[in-house]
Amino acid sequence: MSQHEHFEEEEFETEFNGETVLRIFRLGLLHWPLMLGYLLSVVVTSVLDGYLTFLTKRIVDDGIVAGDAEQIWRLVLQYGLGLVLVAVGVMGFIYSAGRLGERVQYDLRKTMFSRLQDLSLSYYDRTPVGWLMSRLTADASRVGDLVSWGFMDLLWGGVAIVISLIFMAMINVQMMLIVAAVIPVLVVVAFRFKKKILVEYRDVRKTNSKITGAYNENITGVRVVKSLRREEGNLEEFTDLTRTMYRAGFRAAWLSALFLPVVQLISAVAISGVVLYSGRQFQLGGMTIGGIQAFIFYITHMLFPIQEMARIYAEMQQAIASGERIFSLVDAVPEIQDRSGAQAPDTLRGDILFENVDFQYEEEKPVLRNFSLHVRQGETIALVGPTGAGKSTIVNLVCRFYEPSRGRILINGKDYTEWTLHGIHSRVGVVLQTPYLFSGSIWENLRYGRLDAADDEVVNAAKVAGAHTFIEELEEGYDSQVGEGGVLLSVGQTQLLSLARAILADPDIFIMDEATSSVDTLTEALVQDAMDAILADRTSFVIAHRLSTIRKADRILVIEDGRIAEQGTHAQLIRQRGHYYNLYTKQFRDERIGSAQPLLQGGKLVTA
Amino acid sequence: MNDNASESGRSIPSRPPQGFRPEENDQEEMDDKGIRLAYDLKDTLTDNRFVGLWRMATGFRTIYIIAVVAAGLAALSRSAVFYLLRYLVDDVLMGSGSQWRIPWVAAGIIALALLQGFFSFGMGRLAAETAEGVTRRLRNYLYDHIQRLTFTYHDTMQTGELIQRATSDVDTLRRLFQDQLIGIGRTGLLFLVNLTALALLHGWLALLSIPLLPVISVASFFFFRRMTTVFESYQSQDAAVSNRLQERLTGVRVVKAFARQSYEIDRFEEENWEKYRRGVQIAKLHTLFWPVVETLTGGQLLFGMYMASRLALNGEITVGTYVAFTGLLIATIWPVQGIGRLVAHVSTGLVSLTRVQEIIRQEREELEEGSAPKDKRLRGALQFRNVQFAYESPASEEDDEAKKGKETNLDPQETRRRAFAERGYVLRDINLTVKPGQVVGLLGATGSGKSSLVNLLPRFYEYSGGSITLDGAELREFSRGFLRGQIGIVQQEPFLFSTTIRNNISYGVGRDVSDEELEAAARAAAIHDVVQTFPKGYDTLVGERGVTLSGGQKQRVTIARTLLKDPAILLMDDATSSVDTETDAAIRAALQRLMQGRTTFIIAHRVQSVMTADQILVMESGRIIQRGSHDELVAQPGVYRQIFELQVQIEADLEREIAAVVEAAEEKLDGIEKGQPLLQANGSPSESEIPHSVTKG
Repeated sequence: MSQHEHFEEEEFETEFNGETVLRIFRLGLLHWPLMLGYLLSVVVTSVLDGYLTFLTKRIVDDGIVAGDAEQIWRLVLQYGLGLVLVAVGVMGFIYSAGRLGERVQYDLRKTMFSRLQDLSLSYYDRTPVGWLMSRLTADASRVGDLVSWGFMDLLWGGVAIVISLIFMAMINVQMMLIVAAVIPVLVVVAFRFKKKILVEYRDVRKTNSKITGAYNENITGVRVVKSLRREEGNLEEFTDLTRTMYRAGFRAAWLSALFLPVVQLISAVAISGVVLYSGRQFQLGGMTIGGIQAFIFYITHMLFPIQEMARIYAEMQQAIASGERIFSLVDAVPEIQDRSGAQAPDTLRGDILFENVDFQYEEEKPVLRNFSLHVRQGETIALVGPTGAGKSTIVNLVCRFYEPSRGRILINGKDYTEWTLHGIHSRVGVVLQTPYLFSGSIWENLRYGRLDAADDEVVNAAKVAGAHTFIEELEEGYDSQVGEGGVLLSVGQTQLLSLARAILADPDIFIMDEATSSVDTLTEALVQDAMDAILADRTSFVIAHRLSTIRKADRILVIEDGRIAEQGTHAQLIRQRGHYYNLYTKQFRDERIGSAQPLLQGGKLVTA
Repeated sequence: MNDNASESGRSIPSRPPQGFRPEENDQEEMDDKGIRLAYDLKDTLTDNRFVGLWRMATGFRTIYIIAVVAAGLAALSRSAVFYLLRYLVDDVLMGSGSQWRIPWVAAGIIALALLQGFFSFGMGRLAAETAEGVTRRLRNYLYDHIQRLTFTYHDTMQTGELIQRATSDVDTLRRLFQDQLIGIGRTGLLFLVNLTALALLHGWLALLSIPLLPVISVASFFFFRRMTTVFESYQSQDAAVSNRLQERLTGVRVVKAFARQSYEIDRFEEENWEKYRRGVQIAKLHTLFWPVVETLTGGQLLFGMYMASRLALNGEITVGTYVAFTGLLIATIWPVQGIGRLVAHVSTGLVSLTRVQEIIRQEREELEEGSAPKDKRLRGALQFRNVQFAYESPASEEDDEAKKGKETNLDPQETRRRAFAERGYVLRDINLTVKPGQVVGLLGATGSGKSSLVNLLPRFYEYSGGSITLDGAELREFSRGFLRGQIGIVQQEPFLFSTTIRNNISYGVGRDVSDEELEAAARAAAIHDVVQTFPKGYDTLVGERGVTLSGGQKQRVTIARTLLKDPAILLMDDATSSVDTETDAAIRAALQRLMQGRTTFIIAHRVQSVMTADQILVMESGRIIQRGSHDELVAQPGVYRQIFELQVQIEADLEREIAAVVEAAEEKLDGIEKGQPLLQANGSPSESEIPHSVTKG
């Protein structure tokens, strides 16, 4: 998947957006000493390069032909000095461009990451993580390269061409004009070629990602392949892919192979023009032998930058496209922001009131309509109902991960948009069904709830959450690594840890979305008792499928189609024999049967 | 048989739409089946990796050598320009003033450029043909090889690792042939040709022009080797940044829930800064290297030029010779800078070769070998006698190395292989008789040997002891290809390929499938109606680029696939366990139809799945601990009866308990209700009158 995205986004775009270029350029200007550094060193180096070639001319003309040994010695000394200066120049631009490139990447990643922290969850709903990753990795490095090496190469090429032309003019203006006439031809040919080659390479990349996909499918599905004897058919289809790959790759390669000879041929035409003309000029005294030699060197010198500029132009296009995507991220406005004058709440204890709340994730698809609810301070509310009915939406709104599109939510009598987001988030504890742990030790993960918690506080929270026992059984205890996303632990264990993490945060409002769904029954019962004490004086919302959890709630809301279909205590609702009754009896049956299913474990009969 | 399969496979009306596939002409098709692509790459396994590379180029060697020769000729044409220049200077300009020769010189320059261009294009083109041809053959071979390797290999090898080798490492090899090997040849020839040209101009002057070159090439080799290490450290930090990003962006809800944004920004800053720091490290290394090399190269050039100018001054060489000499000098010295890079790349290329060869070294599964007749349909009578099975692992060289004390650095693959080997016998003393058309239920815990037992039938693994006969003949005498054609498998986790639904259903039937047949199978599998709801019907793509099917829908597609295949023996791996209850019934019905008239093995965790089976085997630790029909097993004491009774009891309890709960609820409510009206079903928003104390107290 990421492979696909990667390859598809690598395609260059033909739009040239001056504004974006300017904005990218300004990224470099933030570190103007480095930019100035490479600017100067590039100019100095190019000028010196041109001058060194000029010196070789003088060695021939003023030294050898004139028979002046002393002059040769002086010129050689100059040349040597020039070499040292060139080395310094090279040093200067490699260092400053290298550093600048890294710096700009660093800046971009930093800016983007900070922006991402502010963006609302709705942004993340719309934007796949893979897309964001590409912005912060591939795109950032492409823009960094453009600011440093791209701009530098462009400058280098331009300066080298101009300097060569100037020195040539100093030797012979008319002959310089001959050479200058060839430049446009070279540029056009170079760009034409590069464009074709790039198109081929794009084909190569596309096919390559298909090949990778084919390998992936064939290896992960090898069992099916073997059982259906599809080997021959698969190979046949795969050879179609490799044939395409062969053609695209071969074409790209021979186009590249043709490119250089063509450029060299054009320059040979220029050189032969120079030779033709020089004969007459030589007779007239307008041209020297050293001059002819210098012209040949200058022409060869100019080839490289022109060739390179076609490549740089293509890369620039890519980098500009990258820049546009980066700026779209940086410019994204969080949908949920602190209102001006928002204050940090001292506490979020108090009644929670939904007043005629409408909400939708996508236009035209309302999830909640005119939803009202009054939750008393300290109440435990259980939300039940089918998937997609709006249970998670209600708790998301309480957390202010999203805000109502119409209506208000009041906490302790005050519209909660008058509080700061940070204030609300740090006082609402959320435990999700698919808890997410970060790679690192258990210590680190639990402390995420409260960064300055002492060891014994962490351990206490773990004990309350019923996590302490299994942590102690781990070889390294609290120092054990949990792996990325908690993969080294079972789902039940990660749920307990994420519960402990929330407990440690000591929130005013508790939200548990199927928080212990994968915890075994025995542990859950223990956790339940401990949680009762914690939830006693806190308002809490619980989404759960286990009856034991639901039954204990102060009030049960049956949510269907974004509305409260039924509400009341367990006893009241059972007696109504409505939705809840049906849900409950079906659930009960499933739970009992479910718990008796995995019957044999290690040869012993297990009953729940 | 397989030839037929592939032929008819090609003529299935609508194959996956592959718009990118260019027109095929017959010439290319011939090329595909020609000698060059058919070379068995097992031959490339040698101790000497250069020999391996040489063999890998089989069929392309001649053109590759021609490419190198062309590189030499290109260098020669280039050197000749300088001789032409000498002629221009000495004989035309400074000589007798024969002006009419100048156009000839000019034409000569263009002619030589044409010649040089022709040869260097020829080199590039031939190198490309070799590189692309070698990798195309390698890709095809690896793809086929991988799908024909044994399960034992696939069990121990990680998918990502295999893909990495088949793609990145193959591409590294392509570049080796395309650029690096030929680059070394080219640079070497360029150097030799130019040096010879120099020597022809003036012997000892040529010698004076090269003493620093070995220093430069050695320095550049060491630089690039060092660079590889530094770059790796940069790359690993790059990976660290990506990992952190991936994690924090995936876990963004957690970050927000705990309002840890500024904390995260600080943590990210650490990784980000470290990457910057290492990037600057690379820049510094370059900053150190290039000026030094530039100075050395320039110094060598200057020295040569100075010596030559003194000779010219003394009249020992002509001015024309001097001009030619300086030009050649640059052409000789300049390419040397790059040789270190090439050598460093070749050494990484050789590592890739080894990694690819490790896959090639594995033995394939023989699909066609077997003496049993292949032309008649199986009846499905099975007899197991004292069957034993262990996941044996072929002794490899690594084993010997490990014994010599290299235990510490085992790669994950080797660790997994050993873990498999240590499991020892996973099946013991299996005795079983199955009549054609019988249904056998296998019940047992994970790891009890159920899957291992059925995996023996299509010969995914070979039994290590005892005998299995199928329709009276020993199972080993049937070819794997034939067996797999007669055995249908429905897995717990259905696997579909990212192609159309039509292709997924007809996948592996090995003949033309008419629309009627396809629909009939789909109807029987209860998936036809679902498919009809898609705009493109059976031509709908599944997977990433098409529709996402639910687990149950996928399962029904695989059932349709198996129905169409019409196998004599059916293996079902708890096919309904991952399916939600609503579609459960539809799948059950489809499975019933599928099982009709076939010898069927059902692997299950639950009693209900096997209750109707003709024989039920209860397995534990690789042995059958109980067997019989449901009635027989219930009649005797044992695990099965315990499970069953428990289940019956649960059902009974259930009814009772629900009744009790309702009763209790009503009683409880009656107590409170005295002062409290009963709530309406669609209670108004402010139902604050509900007492908190109801369940709290």
